[in-house]
Amino acid sequence: MRDCLIVGKTHAGKTLFVLNFAQYLGLDNVDLIFKYPNGLIEKKTYSIAKARRELVGPIPHTTRALQTVSIDLPVGKGVKRCFLTDTSGLIDHIHSDVEVRRAIAQTLGAIREADLILHLVDAAAVGVSDAPTALGEVDYQVAQIAQMRGGYAILANKMDLPGAVSGLAKLKLELPGHRLFPISALYKRGFREVKSYVQHLLC
Amino acid sequence: MVKRVERIKYAQLDRIGVLVEKGELTPPAALASIRKSSESLIPPTATNPGSPLEKALAQLDGLVGLTEVKQLVHEIKAFIEIQQKRAREGLANEPLALHQIFKGNPGTGKTTVARILGVIFKELGVLSKGHLVEVERADLVGEYIGHTAQKTREQIRKALGGILFVDEAYSLARGGEKDFGKESIDCLVKAMEDHRDDLILILAGYREEMEYFLQANPGLRSRFPIRIDFPDYSLEELLEIAQVFLAERDYYLTPGAREELARQLLVTQSLRHSGNARLVRNIIERAMRRQAVRLSTQPNPSRDQLMAIERVDLEGGVAA
Repeated sequence: MRDCLIVGKTHAGKTLFVLNFAQYLGLDNVDLIFKYPNGLIEKKTYSIAKARRELVGPIPHTTRALQTVSIDLPVGKGVKRCFLTDTSGLIDHIHSDVEVRRAIAQTLGAIREADLILHLVDAAAVGVSDAPTALGEVDYQVAQIAQMRGGYAILANKMDLPGAVSGLAKLKLELPGHRLFPISALYKRGFREVKSYVQHLLC
Repeated sequence: MVKRVERIKYAQLDRIGVLVEKGELTPPAALASIRKSSESLIPPTATNPGSPLEKALAQLDGLVGLTEVKQLVHEIKAFIEIQQKRAREGLANEPLALHQIFKGNPGTGKTTVARILGVIFKELGVLSKGHLVEVERADLVGEYIGHTAQKTREQIRKALGGILFVDEAYSLARGGEKDFGKESIDCLVKAMEDHRDDLILILAGYREEMEYFLQANPGLRSRFPIRIDFPDYSLEELLEIAQVFLAERDYYLTPGAREELARQLLVTQSLRHSGNARLVRNIIERAMRRQAVRLSTQPNPSRDQLMAIERVDLEGGVAA
């Protein structure tokens, strides 16, 4: 098991999680491989700071390609390499922009191939019905399809924001029976547990 | 089988991606479809496809519809296994009489199921080879005295160790007392006795004709303890067969084409001997050819265009 896919609704914090998790694991620079829906593959090297500036943004659907970074995790006396792949955010409705729809189709294709799925949910928006990152039908469907795999965990992100604690409680009720890690991708909280989980699956 | 199932699955999943891209499917609905495809298209035994027996059972379970046929085949398999275990324990044993009558219209899966049964019986140790020899009246009945016995014995010889499948078997009795068909039936009955340990005879044909055939030959009824009815496929099942057939070949039906196919099948369902799965295959094969002609004028058809069967491709399909 080597491919770890990061999925979730748009603006759930997927790209920031991938970059900060890579930094947490000791990387200052990342070689990102961009795989675009049209088949184009591109490799770019970023410092983590630069990647955060360029790839993380307030506009939904900033990520429109599969963005993969390889990370080495200590396992036993050696290290094991795995690939973290950031994806274009999912939504509950049909997007008007064909480019976005194409990127979403690419994400769906990646979901069927992935060994391990980390599903990011905005914990602070779980109970907020009008928030774009509120728990939606697409989250329920991801949970259902992902549990058919060997590895699946929900990362309840944005635990640093107000309302996240009560959101986490609701999330446990809404998506019961899954492994769930409260994290803050921004402040790198909860990363130790996520690392242990990924390490465990790599062993 | 697993490879085939994988191909079907991935073709369907590709199609789901196309629908999302076109804006015809929401992401949650797409995920639900992917999940459904993953669950339904992999037969339960495909996770452990090791032995030919498991493969054959997976193939049987993978057939569209035929619920009662599948159940009966599983019952026969269980019965054989238990009889074998009882024999090992020295318990009284029912002799295995596995000769069968298949009743149903053309294209309802009779030959397919017979072929799968051959593999199952071989793996269970009932037959030494498990192959299928498919014959009809012309292969068994001769033109002069003595010729019929010779022809029938030749087919029996070929079928030893496997299944002799006599299609349209009722035609053996159609000529009355003086017809050579009667001689062929006698020859077949003798072979059933002589080779009872290594030959299975399946007589197949239309339901009504086979009923009449058995009534006219009462001695045969008791020799064929297993009688399986192959019902006509429902409209939904025929559409599913079409989709599986297309998905195996990396095609799919557009919603308009599906409507047109359903309309054509509805028309033919009112006709007796409409052809069932065979008719669907003929319609689809013709549609694939028509799609090729339609696209041949386009310089660079897209991947989606190459996969899509549209309504226009199906027009005139029934007459094919």
